[in-house]
Amino acid sequence: MSLVRDLWLRARWGNPIVVVSGLPRSGTSMMMKMLLAAGLEIVTDEIRAADEDNPKGYFELERVKDLDKSGDKTWLKAHRGKVVKVISFLLKDLPDDNAYKVVFMRRSLDEVVASQNKMLVRRGEPTDPASDAEMIERYRTHLRRTEALIGGRKNFRWLDVSYNEILGDPRGPAERVARFLGGRLSVDRMVEAVDASLYRNRAR
Amino acid sequence: MFCSRVKIDRALLRKIRMYSKIAGYSSPSEFVTHALEKEIAILEEADSEEEIKKKLQGLGYID
Repeated sequence: MSLVRDLWLRARWGNPIVVVSGLPRSGTSMMMKMLLAAGLEIVTDEIRAADEDNPKGYFELERVKDLDKSGDKTWLKAHRGKVVKVISFLLKDLPDDNAYKVVFMRRSLDEVVASQNKMLVRRGEPTDPASDAEMIERYRTHLRRTEALIGGRKNFRWLDVSYNEILGDPRGPAERVARFLGGRLSVDRMVEAVDASLYRNRAR
Repeated sequence: MFCSRVKIDRALLRKIRMYSKIAGYSSPSEFVTHALEKEIAILEEADSEEEIKKKLQGLGYID
C-alpha cells in the first residue's frame, strides 16, 4: 500500500521533499546528521553555526523561518528529493505544490522544555513566564493540532521517530526511517552518526 | 436538528460502536459528535500557538 502511495505521490508531485520536523530540541538536528551520513543531500545555508546547544550544527535554512509569512514558496521545488529541516510550527505552511515525507521527531516533553529553557538562558532571552507544566500542555495541544492540520493533506506522508528510542538503540528507528524513505539508505551509517553523549537533558 | 450523513470506513464504524458503549455514550452519534467537537476545539486553539510562536522566536527558530 505504501509503495502504491509513494508511486502516486511521485507521479503527481515529483520527488518528495524529505522534511525533518518536530519541536525544537527534539532531536531534529541529530536526524539531519543521520540522513546526511546515510547519503541524502541536506539543504542548509549554514548561517546558524554550531554552538554549545547544538555542537554538531543546526542544519537549518534561513528561508524556512519565513514559511508562515505570505510570499513566494516556489523555491522549495528546487529541493525535491533533498532533506529540509522545518520545525513543527511551520509544517502547516508548506505549500501544496510538492509532496513531503515527514520524519517527525518525538521526545519526552519534559526534556524538550528543560532543554529549551537552558537554550533561552544561553541566548540571553527571557525565559517563558509560563510554568514548565503549562508549556508542556501547550506543546501537547500544538502537536495534536499539527497532526490534525496535516492529517488530511494528500501530499504528506508521515513517520514518527522517538529521539529517546534512538539514544537507547538506534538500529530499529534507523531501519524504519530507511524503509520510509525508500530503503536505499545505509542503516549502518545512520547508526554510527548517533552521538549519545549529546543527550544532556534527560527526564528525571 | 438537521442531520448530515458522513461516510465512515466499516472497520472504524465497528470501533466507534464498541467504544461508544464502553465509554457510556447514549449512541455512536453522540460519541462521534463529542470526539469531533474536541478535535475542532484543538484546531481553533489559537492563543497557545501565539505563546509558542513567541518562545520559538526567542530560541531563534522563526523570525
